[in-house]
Amino acid sequence: MEKISRMILVLVAILILAIVLPMLYWMAFEKPIKKSVVYYSCIDEDFFIQRSGTPATFEDCKGNKYPREKFEQKTPMMHFQQLMVSGKMPDTIRGKAIDMREIVRNRSFERIKPEDIYCPKPKLFPMFESQSGRASLELPNDYFRITWRVEFLDAGTNKISEEKSQLFSAALYHFGFTFPATLIEGIPTTRKSCDEGYLIVDSSSQLFHVKMIKGKPYVKKVDLPDGLKFKHISCVDFKDKKYYAYLISEENAIYILTQDEYKLIKFPVTGYNAENCELKIYSDLFNYNVTVEDEGHTDVIILDKEYKKVVSYHESWPLVSERTEGKIFGSLFPFELSMENPNSIYINFYWKGSGGMGWIILNLLLVAVHFLILRLRKAKKKGHAVDLAFVAIAGIYGFLSVHLFQNKFFE
Amino acid sequence: MWKSIVFKEWLKIRWFLIAFTLFGIVVNGYLFLKVQHGFTFQGGTSFWYNILFMRYHYFDYFRYFPLLEGLVIALAQYFPETVHKRIKLTFHLPLKENNVLLMMQAFGTSCLLFSYLLLLLVFISLGSLYFPSEMVYDAIVSVIPWFLAGFVAYFFVALIVLEPSWLYRFLYSLIAGFFVNVYLKSSLISAYGPAIPVLSLLTILMSIALLFPAYRFRKGEM
Amino acid sequence: MGNVIECNNLTHYYGKKMVYENLNIHVREGSILGLLGKNGSGKTTTINILNGFLQPRSGECLIYGENSQHLSPATKSRIGILIEGHIQYAFMNIHQIEKFYAGFYPNWKPAPYWELMSRLKVTPTQKISTMSCGQRSQVALGLILAQNPDLLILDDFSMGLDPGYRRLFIDYLREYAKSEYKTIFATSHIIQDMERLIDEVLIMDYNRVLEQCPLADFMGSFKRFDFELENDLLNLKREPFVRNLEMVKNKVELYTYESKEFVQNFLENHGVGHKWFRQVKMGLEDAFIGLTGKY
Repeated sequence: MEKISRMILVLVAILILAIVLPMLYWMAFEKPIKKSVVYYSCIDEDFFIQRSGTPATFEDCKGNKYPREKFEQKTPMMHFQQLMVSGKMPDTIRGKAIDMREIVRNRSFERIKPEDIYCPKPKLFPMFESQSGRASLELPNDYFRITWRVEFLDAGTNKISEEKSQLFSAALYHFGFTFPATLIEGIPTTRKSCDEGYLIVDSSSQLFHVKMIKGKPYVKKVDLPDGLKFKHISCVDFKDKKYYAYLISEENAIYILTQDEYKLIKFPVTGYNAENCELKIYSDLFNYNVTVEDEGHTDVIILDKEYKKVVSYHESWPLVSERTEGKIFGSLFPFELSMENPNSIYINFYWKGSGGMGWIILNLLLVAVHFLILRLRKAKKKGHAVDLAFVAIAGIYGFLSVHLFQNKFFE
Repeated sequence: MWKSIVFKEWLKIRWFLIAFTLFGIVVNGYLFLKVQHGFTFQGGTSFWYNILFMRYHYFDYFRYFPLLEGLVIALAQYFPETVHKRIKLTFHLPLKENNVLLMMQAFGTSCLLFSYLLLLLVFISLGSLYFPSEMVYDAIVSVIPWFLAGFVAYFFVALIVLEPSWLYRFLYSLIAGFFVNVYLKSSLISAYGPAIPVLSLLTILMSIALLFPAYRFRKGEM
Repeated sequence: MGNVIECNNLTHYYGKKMVYENLNIHVREGSILGLLGKNGSGKTTTINILNGFLQPRSGECLIYGENSQHLSPATKSRIGILIEGHIQYAFMNIHQIEKFYAGFYPNWKPAPYWELMSRLKVTPTQKISTMSCGQRSQVALGLILAQNPDLLILDDFSMGLDPGYRRLFIDYLREYAKSEYKTIFATSHIIQDMERLIDEVLIMDYNRVLEQCPLADFMGSFKRFDFELENDLLNLKREPFVRNLEMVKNKVELYTYESKEFVQNFLENHGVGHKWFRQVKMGLEDAFIGLTGKY
């Protein structure tokens, strides 16, 4: 029993060292990754890259450098305010006369990070009155949830409003909703231009649009192609009022849902993995700029307003494991553990390989050292087999742990 | 024989256990008094909104309470055993040494469990007055790691107190500090969900950890 | 009548420092054995090994045939121990502690315990931690008597006690051991107390056992002779029959197992001028110091 007790302590120590030692290492040696921001010029129909630094530099794909003012002139959709101030705003772009209000109305930006998807989601939402006739939205007194039916709970009394609950439940039931809901997404704040309710996925992966108009439920079922399932929906509040949301499917495809006839349009973007890529979708009068970025590369795909791919740009940089500090890490530590992950809000045991094989040499060295120590102590080898295995597998973590809890047992 | 063990352990921890349980109930009461106040002044709608969408953590006060309780109960139970090496008396009792320790540990753990369950019950009951089951459930998921931290603190203090060497006591304390931290990270409500099974397993495994330093003591390690 | 305690080839080191090597001890059933030795001679080490709180470097100690490091619960219930300083669970009072221990020993006899407690001037709820050293020792003694063990291992039973309590202890212990044919293995730093209690002696000195035999035999055979030298240039220490020699100016104390005649003959045969030759009667303390040396 004492041996088991020691084993448990050794395992716990390995766990802790696998968390603490890498944390200290990165705190000491981590360097920031200089990421670039990629813009698309509607004038040149080419990319411009802003490289970070003090000051930031701007260059095109061929590496020609541009002063800041030139760069801003090349990207008028992005920098129209500055160009207006400096008087450099062109009157026409691509043969189209420029109307400031039109530019503003057609600008939108949405960012979806992995931690927006992999996080605890609320299960209660405020159902706003979409057409209250008032200039600003008001927070209702109740919140709804969708379990075996729709239930509205009064926040003040914590009691169910039966009538309203039955009303909405019946409406959803009428449209073939399979309870309970698996995903409810919307914009649950009064700080939006108007309320478009919620997009809700039921237990059969069907998609519904639900809102409240003059106290009555509005439900619309969105036709989905066979087998299409969504894992994330990001509802939007854009000035052009053309779209309800961006949606991410289980296969990591990106869709946009139009307000007009609930058309689901798939973006011709590949290489996006919601688990570890950040997605940025910037839209202006002429194009969509879809940027997919992870820790090693950025892909920028430019679409026209018919959602067709125009051109794309790819840039990659060395991963942490390929940089000097990463290589040294790879030769010291076999793996690292962390309770946190930048791609998720959840706290869990996140295991990450060290990204190299150099640690094998250190592990073998430590095994040899441990062997030597055992010989010096004239210890029986048999009782230390598990310890040697720990050192072989967990390297420096194992070595420190087995010495922290001395393996000294008597018969 | 176990009745005598229970009797002895109870004598050591009874006042601390009762005091902490009562104090815990008071803390819970204070927590929900604040909630009540919030409901009165902001309104229930706003209060729910802050919790659901503004990441307001209305029970964060409670985070270190189970840890403190576990620590104190462990000290109350095991410290008297090591003063003047009284643990020698315990080991001399006509039982297997490991069994005696495990009985002591089991009793302390059971008392702690009872106290925690009571506090959890109070927390859930009061919470259910103000919040729907989803929000109470999320809150429970958030507090479970804190209660597990309490048990871990209890198990670690037991093994640190029983360890005969001061150097190792210090090193074990460092490990304990980091390990307990794993259970108490700042987080959003119910973010700990996926980690709870492994954390629970680790906590249960730690319950027999004290046998190792006790063995070292019995072999005369310094 | 076998050996209750048997230590074979006991060897222990503290780090590199040797305590003893290949030590052999045996204690017969029914004997009251006292372990005497100077500080650092290994008394505490031996007690700790016997009680199972120290693993010897090599060798073993058997109690009732079982290795002292792995005593079975049944054997442990036959052994009563007294820890140095009369250590007990001080957070209990005399009622609680009796109730506690009674639960472990089926042959618990409360009568001797309460008899001793009735002499103790304490309140019923007074915690042991608030009692004096002597009162604590009385509690410890009462508990041992109530447990009614076959073997008692007592680590320095005189520690911190005034003469009254020490006498109480010895009287009770001796009475207990003799009337019920119990075995006692005891140490004490007050040798006069040991003398009153024990009937067998085990004397240790650095690294080895000097003597293990019945007390009467030891006291009968180990002698002290005092005399004055006519000239003080003499080296008797080297002689094999001289166990120890103390010399202040020309006054000599000679300790030996040999007879008076032997010593006198030796002195005369070697032309050692002396006067005032006499045998001096020793107590156990004198004999112990004589055997092991003053410093």
